[in-house]
Amino acid sequence: MNMIEINSVTVRYNGTTALDGVTLSVGCGERVAFLGPSGCGKTTLLRLVAGFIAPDAGSVSIDGERVAADGRNLRPPEGRNVGMVFQDLALWPHLTVRGNIEFGLKAKGMPGDERRGRVLETLGLVGMGEYADRKPSELSGGQQQRVALARSLVLEPKVLMMDEPLSSLDQELNQRLRKEILRLQEKLGFTLLYVTHDREEAFDIAMRVVLMKNGLVQGD
Amino acid sequence: MARRAFLAAVVLVLLVAGLLPVLAMLAKSVTADGHLTLASYRGLLASGRQWALMGHSLALASLVTLLTTAAGLPLGILIGKTDLPLRRFFTVLFVIPLLIPTYILAVSWSGLLSGEGLVAQVFGGPAAMKLLFGLPGCVAVLFTVFLPVPMLFTVIFLRTVNPRLEEAGLLVSGWRGVLAGITVPLIRPGLLLAAMLVFLLSFGDFDVPGYLRYGVFPVESFTQFSAFYNFGAATAAAVPLAAVTLMLLLAEAGFLQAGTCQLRPSADAGQRPLIRLGAWRNALAVLVALCGCVTVVVPVAALVVQSSGIAAYAEAFGRAGDSLARSLAYAAAGATLLTFTGFFTGYLIQTKAIWCWRAVDTLTFFLFALPGTVTGIGLICLWNTPWTNFIYQTPLIILLGYLAKYTALASRITVAQLAQIPPSMEEAARIAGAGWFRRMALIVAPMARRGLLAGWIVAYIFSLRDTGITMLVYPAGHETLPVRILTLMANGSPQLIAALCVIMIAATLLPAGLLWAAFTFTARETRG
Repeated sequence: MNMIEINSVTVRYNGTTALDGVTLSVGCGERVAFLGPSGCGKTTLLRLVAGFIAPDAGSVSIDGERVAADGRNLRPPEGRNVGMVFQDLALWPHLTVRGNIEFGLKAKGMPGDERRGRVLETLGLVGMGEYADRKPSELSGGQQQRVALARSLVLEPKVLMMDEPLSSLDQELNQRLRKEILRLQEKLGFTLLYVTHDREEAFDIAMRVVLMKNGLVQGD
Repeated sequence: MARRAFLAAVVLVLLVAGLLPVLAMLAKSVTADGHLTLASYRGLLASGRQWALMGHSLALASLVTLLTTAAGLPLGILIGKTDLPLRRFFTVLFVIPLLIPTYILAVSWSGLLSGEGLVAQVFGGPAAMKLLFGLPGCVAVLFTVFLPVPMLFTVIFLRTVNPRLEEAGLLVSGWRGVLAGITVPLIRPGLLLAAMLVFLLSFGDFDVPGYLRYGVFPVESFTQFSAFYNFGAATAAAVPLAAVTLMLLLAEAGFLQAGTCQLRPSADAGQRPLIRLGAWRNALAVLVALCGCVTVVVPVAALVVQSSGIAAYAEAFGRAGDSLARSLAYAAAGATLLTFTGFFTGYLIQTKAIWCWRAVDTLTFFLFALPGTVTGIGLICLWNTPWTNFIYQTPLIILLGYLAKYTALASRITVAQLAQIPPSMEEAARIAGAGWFRRMALIVAPMARRGLLAGWIVAYIFSLRDTGITMLVYPAGHETLPVRILTLMANGSPQLIAALCVIMIAATLLPAGLLWAAFTFTARETRG
């Protein structure tokens, strides 16, 4: 069974078609990169799967469950068990690293002891164990990147989406974090949807690269 | 679902607090003894006096708008765009009149000009008194009160201008050309909004023309109600005020909306080029200081001097101490209520969470711009019934008035604050499994805390200085300090009134100053 099924999806914003009848399947544990120029619909596709926008036509299924169809989100983002690393990382500046990571666990009602253990375990996974009590503003770009990754992974999502997560980093750090992401994906086995406009990054990370242009899938 | 239901409830509260009273007032103005009638309007239109009053109101508002804009723009540029010394001090100095009840400056000037001191001699004594009690005096006092509006809008909007656009201009022109050709045209939406705001606020001001005995519509509306208890005439006199307000706001909705909602500091705000004043720097600082002295320092200092002596303050606390305590309590309660509703109103406007977000934005601004006397009469129309006395005969009616009139302040501050928080912050919390209330409480509100604090301070100040609504709706035994001062003016000694005015100024500025310090500290923490 596929993890994600996108079926004839169209999304329009103020008269502009962002996705035009896109159909796509992503298998369990697959790593798919979406490659294309700015405005081609890559980010819209991720936001559609996350549930931040609803399709004007077509449907989206995750893990066999239909989560959006014909203009309506049938399951809200908070109920889809997907993770997302945003382009600007969206680390909450008023919370510490620990606070950022345990936020979702608290929302799910996980007891304190178990939660603390899970936070430390996840921070260890991304090599940030000693930074738990720092604020995001006290971290470097690469460290912030790892925290954003840990915040998504701590909830053990079925699907992890990353929206140009490494675009603001220098070449060396970019390559190091690519390896890190690959290591984590292979270890944890989540399905990865990765948006980039960098051809080399796309082919480095993904098992499969989807080319997009003007809201259409041009090649797969 | 929870989000929409909650925000719809907030909108409902606004409708009940603000719109229903206006509609009730309209209904009352066309009914008498249970029948539909336009008698009040016929009386209004047939009377030459009413047309003269409307002419007075329009002349007063137009002159104040013209003068404040003409002076506020250069002053705002000097403070926001140049290396003028003491810029922060001047900003605070010029803003003080806006923070206190408008009549206080009128009281001070009448005291100054009626005496035989230096100021009376400089300004011509009795001749100046004659001018003070009329259109020129009203214009002068309201000019001082509302000058900070265009000045602050200029300073704030200057921060939204992309410095690269000015630098591109500087390559081919001097600052004079850049200001005229690039900067000022770019901030024009802010200037127009400020001008409209000044027009509406001076058009609806009741305190200054009331004290200086210049006949305008808000005074007429109040007099018809309080002196003659002619409800039909009072409501009919209030309707033209509401109509003018609505017309201007429709223009705002159509023309200025995008400009105000998109207000946010330019990304390169830290590297904004400053105009070097060079040899003019000190001369201009002296000129600005002189203006500040004449418009703010002299009248405030005159009150302090006039009230000097323990006896005046002892009498003031004896006769109005309870009103002061009530004022502080109501203003604090009102500010808390306004911050809460303003925050959610601002949130729904910024995120366009429900379809009628634009109508909500316009409604709150309409209610803010509506003269306080109109809102007050509307509240009486709606709530003065045997079934709603639990509201009308308690301080709840005052809080409802604050809610109706001042929600726009807190909501627009929230909109400006939320515009600086990337939507991905709330989305990240959502995808982490947090419901809407949790996201608001743990992510959005903490990130917008500076806006919340600023909103609370502004709401506190405006609630504390309110007279238009409070004068009409306060229940027996619940009068606030500004209302108490107005009533004591009839029989209190000048020393007592001056002492009360000084207490009023202190009650406004001290808590606001302390909170502003906290606000600055929070800002520093956030940057750190």
